[in-house]
Amino acid sequence: MYVSDIDMLSPRSLQECLYLLENEKASFRLLAGGTDAVVRMKEGKWQHDCWLNLKNIDELKFIAIEKDEIHIGPLTTHQEIISSPLLRDHADVLVQACREVGAAQMQNMGTIGGNIGTASPAGDTIPALFVLGAIIELTSLTGKRHICAEDFFIGPGKTVAFPNEIITKISFKIRGKHDLGIFQKLGPRKAQSISIVNVAISLSMKEGTRECTGGRIAFGSVGPVVLRAKKCEAMLALGELSPDMIANISRVAWKEVMPISDIRASASYRRDMASALLERGLYRLMKRWADDERKPF
Amino acid sequence: MKTIDFFINGTEISITCSPSKTLLDVLREDAGLTGSKECCGKGECGSCTVSLNGLPVCSCLLLAGQVHGQNIVTVEGIGTPENMDPIQQAFIDEGATQCGYCTPGLIVSARSYLNSIGHLPGLDEIKQALGGNLCRCTGYTKILKAVQTAAQRLLTFREL
Repeated sequence: MYVSDIDMLSPRSLQECLYLLENEKASFRLLAGGTDAVVRMKEGKWQHDCWLNLKNIDELKFIAIEKDEIHIGPLTTHQEIISSPLLRDHADVLVQACREVGAAQMQNMGTIGGNIGTASPAGDTIPALFVLGAIIELTSLTGKRHICAEDFFIGPGKTVAFPNEIITKISFKIRGKHDLGIFQKLGPRKAQSISIVNVAISLSMKEGTRECTGGRIAFGSVGPVVLRAKKCEAMLALGELSPDMIANISRVAWKEVMPISDIRASASYRRDMASALLERGLYRLMKRWADDERKPF
Repeated sequence: MKTIDFFINGTEISITCSPSKTLLDVLREDAGLTGSKECCGKGECGSCTVSLNGLPVCSCLLLAGQVHGQNIVTVEGIGTPENMDPIQQAFIDEGATQCGYCTPGLIVSARSYLNSIGHLPGLDEIKQALGGNLCRCTGYTKILKAVQTAAQRLLTFREL
């Protein structure tokens, strides 16, 4: 199969796209931003008959607020998320994560739905969606399913989505006034790099203290899928987040992650860095909390 | 084979090719615009940067079928040797080029960035905006200087 033999269909509506997925006999690959898909095509990893170009489906590009929930369309680009004032106010951990995706060129092309669909363990938006408790909506011609972000990924490049389904919405609850979040990433280069380790943290603080009532921590690129550090999360609520406590939590993270060695880094380096990034992230959050820059997150 | 109609540098063009051909190949082979260069082919280096509806993107990762009806501006559309854009003039004045392979990409990125802002950018802001463009000849000092110079000139021009 030559690259030039691959055909392309560009449905204009969601309904048309779902119909094609259900009824076409040719082997399909979905193409959203293409920042990952085209590279794989060039490497010869994907040998399919036809691209299904999603870029023309305007109904899947939106950022909306409905009561206490935020809805994001899967074809929203990273750039659109970064420049959205709504998300900057209510989900700054996601905005920070999108800012870390590639450089300007990638942010203009890459989409959040594509990042989820690619299901890379190193995907930058995925840990942010984990700590936001996002729900992913899958639609097929016959119905809809709502799946929690944590249950959506089952392995590197593998999700629970069936071939006839596409992601149609990402939604999460607006955070409270005393919630704050941060995204930290380590890559070989400041722009345009794939994460060696990344971590998203969200904390719910008790007003006027350094005590935390609960929080979520998700690590990327340290396991087959993005993982929640449940033991670290349990420690967050144990008492005041003093420097000692933060050091203890990050020591637990060292044990809790399960990285492998690959071309980007060795397992032991990843362990050390996961713990260091968590420690740095928590320090920065506490600093921000202390500085009284309490923006709703 | 499919017929793809889109705008290059303001001119409507109709090209018949495989929809899975990259936009970069279409520009270089079918449209004869060899300004944009292929370097890494996977979106790491930014040599192939073109502007798609005003936003810089890597043309090596954009497929021809995806640009149907869209507006593309390449380095050729930014200025000609006779009538140079301030950013191109600044690159020459500051000597911000060596082998020149990365220059078209840098010029498109810098031009899109300067179009999107209305103030004089600081060094960090320029670094952030050009983060996706690699230059392997020399340091980035002169390139950053050139973008600053161009920004200064554009602002002066606007105030007049």
